[in-house]
Amino acid sequence: MSAAVIPLQKAGGKPEPLIAFRRVDLDLGGRPILRGIDLEIARGEFVCVVGPSGCGKTTLLRLLGGLLAPTGGEVSYAGGPVAGPSANVAIVFQDYGKALLPWRNVAGNVSLALEAAGVPRGEREARIAPLLRKVGLDAHAERFPGQLSGGMQQRVQIARCLAQEPTLLLMDEPFGALDAMTRQALQDEVLRIVQASRMTVLFVTHDLEEAIYLGDRVIALRPHPGRVAATFEVDLARPREQLATREAPQFLRLRRALYDFIESAER
Amino acid sequence: MRLSARLGLGLASVLLCAAIVGGWHLATRFGLVSRAFLPSPERTWLALWRGLTEGDLRRQVLATVERMLLGWVLASLVGIVLGSLIGSSRRARAWIGPSLEFLRPLPASALIPIGIAFFGLSQSMVLAVICFGTLWPMLLATIQGFAALDPQLRDVGRMLGFGRLDTVWKFALPNALPDILAGMRLGLTVALILSVVGEMLAGQQGLGLSILLAARAFRSPDLFAGVILLGAIGYATNLVLAQVELRVLRWRS
Repeated sequence: MSAAVIPLQKAGGKPEPLIAFRRVDLDLGGRPILRGIDLEIARGEFVCVVGPSGCGKTTLLRLLGGLLAPTGGEVSYAGGPVAGPSANVAIVFQDYGKALLPWRNVAGNVSLALEAAGVPRGEREARIAPLLRKVGLDAHAERFPGQLSGGMQQRVQIARCLAQEPTLLLMDEPFGALDAMTRQALQDEVLRIVQASRMTVLFVTHDLEEAIYLGDRVIALRPHPGRVAATFEVDLARPREQLATREAPQFLRLRRALYDFIESAER
Repeated sequence: MRLSARLGLGLASVLLCAAIVGGWHLATRFGLVSRAFLPSPERTWLALWRGLTEGDLRRQVLATVERMLLGWVLASLVGIVLGSLIGSSRRARAWIGPSLEFLRPLPASALIPIGIAFFGLSQSMVLAVICFGTLWPMLLATIQGFAALDPQLRDVGRMLGFGRLDTVWKFALPNALPDILAGMRLGLTVALILSVVGEMLAGQQGLGLSILLAARAFRSPDLFAGVILLGAIGYATNLVLAQVELRVLRWRS
């Protein structure tokens, strides 16, 4: 994993954000999807994005990944405009079943990222083993995605993203299709991994509690067209803990505020 | 399927085979059909055995199998390469698709006269016709397999920064492989049919010609021996391909 990144200090004293959206508009097929998005994310920050369906959460993430270009305004990454996909940015897609190569086994799917990075064949295996250990799949390296549970498939995708050694990890409702127990286990795994690697994370979810549990900050979007409606700072101690954190008064207060907000946004 | 059920079905298949041969035997035994047209199984077996051990039936089999395989391999290569090129571009699909749809349903045997005009009654004519007729299942399967690549997988490839060639090699081609293999199995059957028809029409050495000559000379045991061998070739090649498919696509089980 990449070494600890010290935020660059600008002359003014405020650290330069890793990501900045400046008055970003996006239209798809003539329909406005996002309007006037202004957003900054600092290095090492874990930011969650919530909002009702149709608010452009996924679109926001695809803009950052370089899979879409804004219609107006600018999306910048590390000081320069995002011009396309970059090896520093990885996406964990929502639909793990369609994000893995069904004809490659677990190790082969992780290897894909190493092949893309030009890692020589001989070195790949030594890089894959620790990644699989990190996501708890070391015993399943030879199995094919079709033989794995949903949670395990999503772990494969996470391992493949980690193999990229990205600075920025984008996660698009990664646990939305998993059962509650698996979801909680994966939330903790992701927190642990992110903590150890000092990655910056943008995490899209429709689960408000998940957003509070994971994030340093929760950004709420309003739909038709999508725009930033409110930002909630999450002042919960880390490392977080499924029971204690979720019972903390700040957690409950934030949960209340977010629910109230979403309800008013949907009305 | 449970083992006992599989054994039972296997036994039933053997019994069905035996019943057909038995019926055949009885039909000839009681003269239900003239022997000039339908030889007894015993005489057919004898002709088959003699032809393979003493006669030139083995050479005919080899000639036909060689022709079939050569045409099939050539058609597979052309089909997969061409299919990859057409399938990986939406514009190419829209551009070439209608022409393909016009050419595809043409029966390959109808093109034999055209082949004869170009190549004469030669080996190359037969090969060209086999290639043309066999090309379609492979070509269309490859195009279909390429076009059916999930957009999400395309995004994965883009995020990882793969170029066009890598995307074809690591994503589109393996994605199309089940379709391609199914097309190749279909193509092999077509190749066998066209080999036989081609040999008959162009007078080329092979099982097709030997069957035709046996029929003209009213040597019905030889005729039936040839037909049985053709069936055996089709059966064996299909079995081999099914095994290959099972191995290559083992991730699907």
